[in-house]
Amino acid sequence: MIRAQGLTKTFAGKTAVNGIDFTVEPGRVTGFLGPNGAGKSTTMRMILGLDAPTSGTVSVRGHRYAASPAPLREIGALLEAHAIHPGRSARDHLRWMAASNGIPTTRVGEVLELVGLDSVAGQRAGRFSLGMGQRLGIAAALIGDPPVVVLDEPVNGLDPEGIRWVRSLARQLADEGRTVFVSSHLMSEMALMADHLIVIGRGMILADSSLQTFMAEHAASYVRVKAPRSTAVEAVLVDQHLEVKRHGDELRVQGLDAASIGDLLGAKGLVLHELTLVRSSLEDAFMTLTADSVEYHAKAADEIKAGARR
Amino acid sequence: MTTTTLEPKLVQTSPVERATFTYVVRAEWIKLWTVRSTWWTVAALVVLGAGLTTLVCWGNADWLANDPEADSPGSFITWGMMIAQVCAIVMGVLTVTSEYGSGMIRTTFAAVPSRGRVFAAKAVVVASVLFVVGTLTALLGYVGGNFFLNRAGIGMSLEGDVLRAMYGSGLFLAGLAIFSMTVGFLVRHTAAAVSIVLALVFVIGNMVILIPGDFGVWLARLMPGNAGGSIAAPVPFNPDLLDAWAGLGIFVAETAALVMLALYLLRKRDA
Repeated sequence: MIRAQGLTKTFAGKTAVNGIDFTVEPGRVTGFLGPNGAGKSTTMRMILGLDAPTSGTVSVRGHRYAASPAPLREIGALLEAHAIHPGRSARDHLRWMAASNGIPTTRVGEVLELVGLDSVAGQRAGRFSLGMGQRLGIAAALIGDPPVVVLDEPVNGLDPEGIRWVRSLARQLADEGRTVFVSSHLMSEMALMADHLIVIGRGMILADSSLQTFMAEHAASYVRVKAPRSTAVEAVLVDQHLEVKRHGDELRVQGLDAASIGDLLGAKGLVLHELTLVRSSLEDAFMTLTADSVEYHAKAADEIKAGARR
Repeated sequence: MTTTTLEPKLVQTSPVERATFTYVVRAEWIKLWTVRSTWWTVAALVVLGAGLTTLVCWGNADWLANDPEADSPGSFITWGMMIAQVCAIVMGVLTVTSEYGSGMIRTTFAAVPSRGRVFAAKAVVVASVLFVVGTLTALLGYVGGNFFLNRAGIGMSLEGDVLRAMYGSGLFLAGLAIFSMTVGFLVRHTAAAVSIVLALVFVIGNMVILIPGDFGVWLARLMPGNAGGSIAAPVPFNPDLLDAWAGLGIFVAETAALVMLALYLLRKRDA
């Protein structure tokens, strides 16, 4: 379990992470989602004690990361920048990591096999492709068989097969009861991987809920109605206290499902040309949500235009 | 969604075994010997240190034996070790800056969150390697160089100041490596760190000698390369330098002060 309380990081007067609170629970994959520069990597570095918080605290399994007696056995991390010496072989990289925390050397072979790098273990890491580097980073994260796994942008640079592999690995780790915290700027990827979502924008938590709840709350759905006598249709729907918006020749109705709307209008003898449930994608939901965090800019632009017109 | 909490089957319930300092030293040892630059630097150190001493003794043996104005042969028997300092500096700097350059320092501090421990383990490993390699190289240079000095009738036996200069070379290179490593932690950049230490030891250290008066003499004595270097030669070229052990004491004190500053900043700065 990872718990952040009032976590804040300021770089030279610019606030990267602004007093965030969140808890990452074991047994599920928690996605950490936000646009680039939202504060994801900074938060992850603070979890690992690499960056000191300006204020607030973050703990892993109830204590500060630095207080861990053998950190690699408690929390494994894949960091965004590969953080591997290019001149050292994959095996040697894992060997020193194992040695530093008293992890048996036999574990090196195990994780190399797990990530599918056993055949190139003797090669220098500098020759690895981006995807192979990511796999080595994941092997390093798992070296201590840790109950908490933090993966910063794990699918970056991976081919489709690799992406599927990371997805199933994250699932497997969570099913084993581990705490799995995965960051990404790709909503579509999170939709396939995460059980729970923490959305961050401009250093603040914008949402913290299960994937389903997130969808229900932010991915608005409506029923599209097209009819030749649209004014009459609109009048009937408004009569039923439904929310109706007109977009060109279509009506967007919220508050009732498509079948009931069809029944209602059919009973009035109104002809329909289209009756469709439209569910906006998670991507749209993400855009809607993070749009709020850049609202200030949009307003400012409007004001400039308004000023120019005057 | 299902919120059933699975029984964590792989989560350790008992506290994990505490990682000891020995583990960190072992990790740093593996790191040192699994990059090629270490092997190259050690090879260069041996070749330059022992080779140049032999070469210089061969070239100067007759002059040293016959000219009453000549320097002491004791200044020549560890001549190559002056140049071998460059290798010790490079090795000390690289153990730190190669990690900052590749971003691996973050992996290191994630594995060992105590930055003081990482610093200490690196210092232990690099200093012991350079003490052994430095002493053996000085001995190899003595064997080669003394062969030619013997032939000219001015050979030295391996005792007293000559013997002290052998392990003294090892001590000086070990100290210089820690000094360089510390500068590496301060500036976090290979070229910058190597340039700073080389300039301090070879350029500034020799230029201050030109400052006239007592002030110049004392400044020259206290420069880290000059203070620490006198233990590495049975008879220093510069008669004004401090006595071997006093000089080493000054050098150790200067290095310790730099280490304190580096440790303070290392704990304060983000990795």
